[in-house]
Amino acid sequence: MRSVTINPAKMCQPIGAMYALFGVHAAVPLVHGSQGCTAYPMRMFNRHFGELVQVAVSSLGEDASVFGGKKNLVVSIENIIARRHPELIGVITTCLSETIGDDIDGIIREGNFEESKVVPIHTPSYVGSHVTGYDNALKALVTTLSVDSEPENARLNILPGMVNPGDVIEIKQMLDSMNIAYTILSDISETLNAPLILPKPPFPRGGSSVAELEDCAKARGVIALCEHAGGSAAVYLKGKYGMAADTICPIGVANTDRFLDAVCDMTGVEIPYSLEQGRGRLIDAMVDVHMKTCGKRAAISADPDIALALAEFVTELGMEPVVVSSSTASRKFLQKAKSVTDGEILNGRDLYELQRAVKDNETDILFGNTKCTPIAKDEDIAFVRCGFPVYDRVGYHRYGIMGYHGGIYLTDMITNAILEWGER
Amino acid sequence: MPLTLLNSDKAIPEREKHTYIKAPSESILPLSNVQTTPGDFTERGCTYAGCLGVVCGPIKDVIHLVHGPIGCAYWTWGGGTRQNLSDNPSFHRKYCFSTDMQEDNIIFGGEDKLYESILEAHEEFPEAKGVFVYATCAIGLIGDDLKGVCKRAEDEIGIRVVPFNCEGFRGCSQSLGHHIANDTLFERVVGTKEPEYLTDYDMNIIGDYNIQGDLWEIMPLFERMGIRILSTFTGNASIDDIAQAHRAKLNLMHCQRSTPYICEKMEEKYGIPVLKASLFGVEQTSKALRDVAAFFGLEDKAEEIIEEEVSKVSPKIAAYRTKFEGKRVFIYQGAPRAWHWVNMFRELGVETIAAATTFGHEDDYAKICERVNDGVLVIDNPNSLELEEILTDWKPDLFISGLKEKYLSYKLGVPFINGHSYEKGPYAVYSGFLNFARDVEKTLFAPVWGLIRRENDA
Repeated sequence: MRSVTINPAKMCQPIGAMYALFGVHAAVPLVHGSQGCTAYPMRMFNRHFGELVQVAVSSLGEDASVFGGKKNLVVSIENIIARRHPELIGVITTCLSETIGDDIDGIIREGNFEESKVVPIHTPSYVGSHVTGYDNALKALVTTLSVDSEPENARLNILPGMVNPGDVIEIKQMLDSMNIAYTILSDISETLNAPLILPKPPFPRGGSSVAELEDCAKARGVIALCEHAGGSAAVYLKGKYGMAADTICPIGVANTDRFLDAVCDMTGVEIPYSLEQGRGRLIDAMVDVHMKTCGKRAAISADPDIALALAEFVTELGMEPVVVSSSTASRKFLQKAKSVTDGEILNGRDLYELQRAVKDNETDILFGNTKCTPIAKDEDIAFVRCGFPVYDRVGYHRYGIMGYHGGIYLTDMITNAILEWGER
Repeated sequence: MPLTLLNSDKAIPEREKHTYIKAPSESILPLSNVQTTPGDFTERGCTYAGCLGVVCGPIKDVIHLVHGPIGCAYWTWGGGTRQNLSDNPSFHRKYCFSTDMQEDNIIFGGEDKLYESILEAHEEFPEAKGVFVYATCAIGLIGDDLKGVCKRAEDEIGIRVVPFNCEGFRGCSQSLGHHIANDTLFERVVGTKEPEYLTDYDMNIIGDYNIQGDLWEIMPLFERMGIRILSTFTGNASIDDIAQAHRAKLNLMHCQRSTPYICEKMEEKYGIPVLKASLFGVEQTSKALRDVAAFFGLEDKAEEIIEEEVSKVSPKIAAYRTKFEGKRVFIYQGAPRAWHWVNMFRELGVETIAAATTFGHEDDYAKICERVNDGVLVIDNPNSLELEEILTDWKPDLFISGLKEKYLSYKLGVPFINGHSYEKGPYAVYSGFLNFARDVEKTLFAPVWGLIRRENDA
């Protein structure tokens, strides 16, 4: 295996932690590192979501790198509280602060900050990827904030992972149609798809509240949609509070069925007529286009859980997932990938390798984010944009690919990509 | 009270020294080029960004290998959001190279992985004319011998391997990264190749990054005068162009924040004089052409070109001016464009009411203050909350800034132009000025601004 990475499929942990914090109402991500660690990821969010994001940085300089960043961190937290009065500050570490060895947990404890909750989040950039960072952030939020108390509130915790606002909306609509009480942790459906109404609020409306994070201990169950981005928090909630837990990424027919079954099991609710109709509409859409989709050879590049679920969905469409590639190396991904494809599995490899695999496997259609666009062009194959970041086309954050309704949108996107390509 | 404290800064009074309202007959400048107030929501980037992101990234035929964990490489891939175009798109900006340092590399050192990475990258892309290696934060801390590894690799592969010690935590902004890139390129590249032939009209354009093709508009103007552009630093540049830059008769410096260092060194070592220019707007572009013509003795030719170009754009600019007259702009740029554009806007009938830079030094603020009227707010390294206050309370009709500030402006209902990577450029010289004016018109008069509702209006 090469030492050099050419065209990475992954980003580093801090951006994943920021992603998770954007879904908490009135929360400020504070990156404990150098200024590039915020300036650059902020632009990635700007490009994908077309939204304002505000991230603070402790601006570690040469002095702090030698003598430690405690002073910068404390001053940062004080300044943020004084100027913005957030409900929560998430302190996100970096390769710099982790290598310096700053004890952010101790610094935060000693600081005894009262006005805002301050949550330490360890996201060393030299471990894992953006997905790991999201997972670590969500686990830190849940472990730091959740408070055990009676009685059980009969809610469900849904941990969506690094998905789009549109996906969260799809999930919410399904649960709403079942009349279920639920809490989304963390909920970017409004914060990263905010309306333009003046005056601009100090923080975007929506997001999970700190109170919801505190109360998540009382829920009767938890479902993580992405095991690699939220799964650790689900495992924690199950272990600590004994609630039912499951992991299902509801992309495609069977995965959405399983998701709803799990919801029914945990809540005792039955699947309503409207969702049966929704399922039927997805099947109808798939039947309509099966002569276009069947037999196509697909390559999928995404974060691990999304990649696996997409592979299962394209199989339902009669395609063959000949390449399944995860941005993030993971043993769990590798195991599961073997059960969803007989094709080539890339476990945390770069996009240069993906392009080689796309070529070798005579692929017809590629699924991936904007960084995959040149591969589709070079290889002259159909291309479906998905994941993060997508910035060479607009609006992808608005529309979900999860659930039955999201499945219809995805089916149409796939077919239109094939039609545009012209089945060469 | 020329220095002022904005309302959003009550808790961080040190920001007063950076915030100046221009008053008559004063020689005060806002404090600049110092460490950012921690946690103030700065828009600044890091030293690595200044080195690779700005200065080195546009060099089109070398492997830019980032030594560190993966993020830093990912962000600068394809120029990041920067549109520094080249004529080598099948390689330049298409590939991203990183050593992707893992935890055990951080603990035990990353020298072996770096060495292997250089060799492998060269093997995959043997046509690349060099390997530039950039150190990121963690590398500076663990003490990898970058220089030694690069030397060893260079001996092995036989092409130039150049280390840049541009760790993000050095310096207080992107600015030190510009300096490190200048010094390293001067020491390692400039003067290592002789041009095939020389003319009496050889000139370098220093400090233009060919954003959306600016250079492709700039160069023909000089070439029509009879000047040969020997080298561009660094827009659309080959490493070989930079290697032969020492034989030019004149350095024309455009970005005067990111490249004065190499200009000074070339003047000192090779005796190349430096001419500073603004290549935005009609007046400044014409002045630059005249200054260069005077140096080379090509005045007549320059006047011909100026007349031809000005006659093409003047009527259109006059029409835009009628539409824009009385509009007020807030300019926030990296540094020099904050003063380059004051006069350009004035030609369009738009007055600057506030000007700011991310990483400007004293000389940038002096130039801003020379150009703007009394009462104008001049602010150094403005943070997100200050920007919001200025956009809300100072009520500019237009904000010109970068991507990070774009959606703040939009969410406040303020028309916006991306001055860093442009909307639809190029924006330089006469032809680009028309693109610029067209984009200003689009955003100022977009119907959507009139559809925004205020809460409780409905």
